[in-house]
Amino acid sequence: MENTNTISVNPFAKTSGKGKDIKETAVVGITQIAVLLIIAILVVILGIIIFQGRDKFSWEFISSFPTDGMTKGGIFPALIGTFILVIVMSIAAVPFGTITAIYLTEYAKENSVFAAAVRFSIRTLAVVPSIIFGLFGLGFFIQFVGSGMDNAFNGGELRWGQPNILWASLTMALLTLPVIIVSVEEALKTIPRELREASLALGATKWQTIKKVVFPGSISGIMTGTILAVSRGAGEVAPILFTGAAYYLATLPGSLSDQFMNLGYHVYIMSTQSSDVEKTMPIQFATTLVLLILTLSLNLVAVVIRSRIRRKAK
Amino acid sequence: MRDIKIQVNDLSLYYGEKKALNEISMQIPANKVTALIGPSGCGKSTFLRCINRMNDLIPSVKITGEMLVEGVDIYDKNVDVVNIRKKIGMVFQKSNPFPKSIYENVAYGPRINGLKDKSQLDEIVETSLRQAAIWEEFKDRLDDSALGLSGGQQQRLCIARTLAVSPDIILMDEPASALDPISTSKIEELVHQLKEQYTIIIVTHNMQQAARTSDHTAFFYMGELIEMGKTNAIFTKPEKKQTEDYITGRFG
Amino acid sequence: MTHFEMELEKLKDVIKKIGNLAVSQVGESVKALLFEPIEGKEVKKTEIKIDKLDVKIDEICQSIFALQQPVASDLRFIMASLQISNEIERIGDLAVSVIKRTKSIKEKHDLIAKFEIGDFAKEVELITTKTNECLSTLDEKTISEILTLNIAIKSKGDAIIEHIIDEMKSHSKVVVSGTNLVIVLKHLERISDHSSNIAEYVYFMVNAKIIKHEKLEDLNINKLE
Repeated sequence: MENTNTISVNPFAKTSGKGKDIKETAVVGITQIAVLLIIAILVVILGIIIFQGRDKFSWEFISSFPTDGMTKGGIFPALIGTFILVIVMSIAAVPFGTITAIYLTEYAKENSVFAAAVRFSIRTLAVVPSIIFGLFGLGFFIQFVGSGMDNAFNGGELRWGQPNILWASLTMALLTLPVIIVSVEEALKTIPRELREASLALGATKWQTIKKVVFPGSISGIMTGTILAVSRGAGEVAPILFTGAAYYLATLPGSLSDQFMNLGYHVYIMSTQSSDVEKTMPIQFATTLVLLILTLSLNLVAVVIRSRIRRKAK
Repeated sequence: MRDIKIQVNDLSLYYGEKKALNEISMQIPANKVTALIGPSGCGKSTFLRCINRMNDLIPSVKITGEMLVEGVDIYDKNVDVVNIRKKIGMVFQKSNPFPKSIYENVAYGPRINGLKDKSQLDEIVETSLRQAAIWEEFKDRLDDSALGLSGGQQQRLCIARTLAVSPDIILMDEPASALDPISTSKIEELVHQLKEQYTIIIVTHNMQQAARTSDHTAFFYMGELIEMGKTNAIFTKPEKKQTEDYITGRFG
Repeated sequence: MTHFEMELEKLKDVIKKIGNLAVSQVGESVKALLFEPIEGKEVKKTEIKIDKLDVKIDEICQSIFALQQPVASDLRFIMASLQISNEIERIGDLAVSVIKRTKSIKEKHDLIAKFEIGDFAKEVELITTKTNECLSTLDEKTISEILTLNIAIKSKGDAIIEHIIDEMKSHSKVVVSGTNLVIVLKHLERISDHSSNIAEYVYFMVNAKIIKHEKLEDLNINKLE
């Protein structure tokens, strides 16, 4: 066996001085503290909500109407109202958003002014404060379209020219449109160009290619977008303040022209217009808890679907 | 007299202002394999994509000259590009099966053309897979996803998919460049068998592959057609020095 | 069979053809020597065929080299085929020369009988037949037989020639015939030599070893069945 020469000086030894070490540890430390801080804040918020609302939180709470001036009972109508709102909103926003996304990805030419305008509008829409949507809903849907409809079909009788679940849903649809468009676009972009080429090379038209190759691949993006939109729509309050939400209704909405109760709005009412603060505070927190669970779980599902899309794209 | 399938007259292609193909004129014989060779960037793939008008997908592209397939200029205004692509199929460098089953991949073309009858589709799928020499391998797993196949199998599936629309001409853009030697030789053998029924044009950067598989060879350089002739002649006594230098590896 | 394998089969066929033609030419030349002169036309036709096939083999081999990039045993097969074709063409040439020259040998039957040339000629015929066989069977036993037989033929031929020269020294009348006969015998020796060369190329093809200029004793050729 040969003797290996031992190296007298270790070429891999640490050469940099203490200063570099301290900087390295400091950076790591600061990031760790920041993360812990965020987690701590989250824990505190959740903790307060859960603690304050745990008494009221029960199956009965979710399934019964509020009673005694909303100091007792449950939030069933608010829950249903939120569901209907979200469904109508999706029916309006998802197809429209999907078509827009398909246009932007598949049909828009590189330097098309129209496409640029569309993209700009979407970006702007995404950052408009939600109360503005509410004002738009009031001014356009209710006072213009609704009144117009009443004059044309009802002989002036007031039915559509007032706040109701339809206008609230459409207003919310406008708010969530950018989210849907972006999600669908993202999913469409993961479909490699080669698949489109393969389809065209077989003699398919552009529309056939979209229908059979591109669209099926975008479904997960549509799902993600819808779920994100729904989770946002379930929680936003400002757009529905003057467009259809009511603080108390004895019955569930029977048609699109009825008003409705809503979880987020309910929390707002509880905290600002309560007749008995002590009694309503727990209800308020319990409602918040329900809303949080709803939105968090929806977001979680969307994240999971989105990460599966991303993995497929690799 | 041999049949001429494609007659190209002074075809030029521009990417915006830049001229990528310079007045190419050539004749492509029917039922033979024609190989297009040349160094990277010489325009052979660009030229190939002119034949089935895939370059139309690039907005800045402009094409002048004529490309006559069986006497008809495919760039004429009255010609429907979708019909061209049904007659001129293409197999790409990297296999691109749809994320569907093997059966659905092959049936895609016929379905696009309106064929709905299941028994007819079954027959076309079987014939196409047989022609691509993969029927035995796949006949018991037609519903398996195409994405689970190996590279060589996927590429032969793509060939079957192209055959399913009964084209006259098959364009192959470096079909074996991403494959291992055994898959490559299977595809080369397939090309030999297919030329009885189809006219095949194959782009390859592998000269030995061009020598092994083709009947005619065209040498491209910097967007120009330098020389074209019978493969035997090109590889034993090329006429132009440029061709000889390229083939002997002196450059490119 | 793949496309390439079909090309190789084509080459094998042509080699078989040219080999058969050469054997037949040698047969005709022996007949012309030992018996009566023969029809020149058939011989000429066969000679033309042999030349054409030689050229064809060149072309096929060039094509395979250029287009198929053969390696290993395929490469040796092509290389050997080129050489063997060459040798076979020479054999054909020599056979024709023999046929032409025997016309000028007067009283050849007496000379042939006196010097036992009949046996010698038959042996030359034998070696070419064996060599043609060897092209198909490629077996080492035949190769070693051919190599050994060639040495025997050469020494026998040299001995006969010495006798003829002695005869010419003492009887000036036979000088013209004798000289022509010597040349014919030399041609036949060359035919045997070319056959031996072919056997060496077959050996190379099979064993990847070039034994062109080796002595037979030095070779370790398998003589057993």
